[in-house]
Amino acid sequence: MASTFGSINTALTSLYAQRRGLDVTGQNIANANTEGYTRQRVRMQAQAGSLNPGVYATTDQVGTGVTVAEVERGRNVYLEQRGRTEHANSAYLASQKGAYDQIESVLAEPSDTALQARLHDMWDSWNDVANNWQDPSTRTALIARSSTVATTLNDTHTALSNQFASQNAEMGAYVDQINSLGSSIAEANHEIVIAQQAGLPANELQDERDRKIMQLSELAGASAQATPDGAVNVYIGNAALVEGFNARSLTLTGPTTLDGITATDKVALQWDDSKTNATPGGTAGAMLDTMNTIIPGIVADLDGVAKAIATTVNTAQAGGFTKDGTPGTDFFTGTTAESIKVAITRPEDVAFSKGNPADPTTPALDHNVADQLADISNSTDSPDATYQAMIGRLGVSAQAVGRRSEIQDAVRDQVDTSRTAESGVNLDEEMTHMLTYQRGYEAASRVLTTIDSMLDQLINRTGLVGR
Amino acid sequence: MTIPSRVTETSMAGKALGDLQRSLQRGQKIQSQISSGKLLSRPSDSPTGTVTSLQLRGEVRSTQQYGRNAEDGLGWLGTIQNTLGDASTSVIRVRDLTVQALNNSNTDESREALAVEIENIRATLVGQANVKYMDRPVFGGTTPGAVAYADDPANPGQVKYVGNENRTTRTVGPNAKARIDTTGPEAFGQPGSGTELFSVLKNLADSIRSGDDAAVNTGLENLDTAHETLKSALSDVGARYNRVEQMKQSSDDHLLSVKSQLSDIEDVDLPKAIMDLQIQQTSYQAALAATAKVIQPSLIDFLR
Repeated sequence: MASTFGSINTALTSLYAQRRGLDVTGQNIANANTEGYTRQRVRMQAQAGSLNPGVYATTDQVGTGVTVAEVERGRNVYLEQRGRTEHANSAYLASQKGAYDQIESVLAEPSDTALQARLHDMWDSWNDVANNWQDPSTRTALIARSSTVATTLNDTHTALSNQFASQNAEMGAYVDQINSLGSSIAEANHEIVIAQQAGLPANELQDERDRKIMQLSELAGASAQATPDGAVNVYIGNAALVEGFNARSLTLTGPTTLDGITATDKVALQWDDSKTNATPGGTAGAMLDTMNTIIPGIVADLDGVAKAIATTVNTAQAGGFTKDGTPGTDFFTGTTAESIKVAITRPEDVAFSKGNPADPTTPALDHNVADQLADISNSTDSPDATYQAMIGRLGVSAQAVGRRSEIQDAVRDQVDTSRTAESGVNLDEEMTHMLTYQRGYEAASRVLTTIDSMLDQLINRTGLVGR
Repeated sequence: MTIPSRVTETSMAGKALGDLQRSLQRGQKIQSQISSGKLLSRPSDSPTGTVTSLQLRGEVRSTQQYGRNAEDGLGWLGTIQNTLGDASTSVIRVRDLTVQALNNSNTDESREALAVEIENIRATLVGQANVKYMDRPVFGGTTPGAVAYADDPANPGQVKYVGNENRTTRTVGPNAKARIDTTGPEAFGQPGSGTELFSVLKNLADSIRSGDDAAVNTGLENLDTAHETLKSALSDVGARYNRVEQMKQSSDDHLLSVKSQLSDIEDVDLPKAIMDLQIQQTSYQAALAATAKVIQPSLIDFLR
């Protein structure tokens, strides 16, 4: 038989457990809207009676009440992992989409004012010169419009350089953030491991750590792996950023300006200790791609257009003569979008004539060079065609990234919904639990009262026969 | 204990918010299309459409330029046509005068008067041969100089062609270049051939003055040959004038069709866009109403 007062203890364990349950429910309701909070659940366990018979006591196999075995976090580790991957991809594509948006705004095609229209203005001016070269004003207009083309190319290059510079500066800030997140995760690991070894729940700390890991996933595509002692290792690419209680750090290396980017010299994230390059995903990965590939690619295309313009016009000029019979000189200097410039300033220096007016035997002054240049805009290998192909490529890439980003966002939202469904607080559920625990508490109190009245019967009213 | 397919307030709110956001985004896109009137505002809206649009814009510009080129060409050809028409009238007058000079009843004075008139006509014709359009001598080929015919220093009293045989063209269509000039020799005869209009006239005047009827008869034949040359140049110019005018007309027509193609690609189909916007708005409002209904109630409302 169990001891006389054993049942009081059983009721007491229930009172404790129900109260603990109410506490946790209160915590859940309090944090119903806290970002990254994971709902907690009290896991109660029936306490088995002592199975070892003592000298004076034997067991009756009835349990001795209830105990709170654990306060669980309602979180699915695999969903979390999935969430990190999808958030990283989503951040990567969102950043790239932003970069393409900006490039598209810089080029501002199709419109009546962007480079394509300017190029047409220039070729039309050559046509005007061909029609009416006698009038120096057509040549003055030609020089002005050619300058506009050159300036538009220069401005586009400057805008792209600025975009690069701002990405680089932003990246610097992100690297600091990645490093500080890494070290704070290492610290959290330390605290959680110590708490768990002491048998204390560290659920809130774990939530905070998960939130930071998610932030790192978005920033740098980090993945995480839990270790048996409660710590979490965080990896960027295949290298560990956080291993146990230690965090490594990253530095942004490479050129800080667009002009510094070459085939070999690129912007990179480098591990401070091993001096090797990290392979981040997420926003940082997208920004590296933007700085190393996308912007330089567009600039290379623009340089191609600038070169085509300069070469075409200069070659035609070299074969022609000015009104005074001087052989034509270079119309443009510079063969990149950054450096292209109209070299001649006086309308007298425009070589529009194939025939040489100063030729002693067959003087002639015609419009053939100007006419030839005016025809170029319609040929298939004109600078215009090069530019159109470039805009086409840009459009395809931007559209692809935009669509992928849209799809990826939907996937991310879907996973987030599943995650919050799993780990979020459901108020209806909490209300139900509250009722349950309240009723449990009431019932346990009733058990206590009942035993009390039983004992009262036994102690105060038993053996009073004949009194 | 896990409850399968759990739904929580946060997940519901997150999902509802995401859906509303997307719906609003679609609405914003349609709205920006309507307010800008453009289907294409950036290359990623439709890469192929953008490239086509760029090409069509190029075509619009080129076609407009062809039209302008043709107008300029018509100016040249019109000038030539008028000049040659006047010259032809003058040559007919010279012919009349020459026939009159062959009349036996002429006195020295009357022959002198006829010779003087022919010389005057010749001076006018030389002036007409040097006529300019936009400061260019239209009969001078591509001469860098200001005139097509100048006094010949070797032969006093004669004029000499100082232009060349090069041609001037205008681009009036894709790969279509129309010649817009006529060189002096084509209109007035080859210099030194004996049938060049100016030397024929000079010789005629001289022969009439000296009363050499045989020379006047030869001169008359040469004059007819020169007139033939002039008339054939005139009809050639007329034909070219027509061709350029046709090209201008066809480039105007082409411009219209290219512009409508461009509009098809770039411009928004307003009724369709407005319908889309309406549908989108309705679904947005429905979503809002549904969300308000679903998110509102909770067990709290029903517990005492």
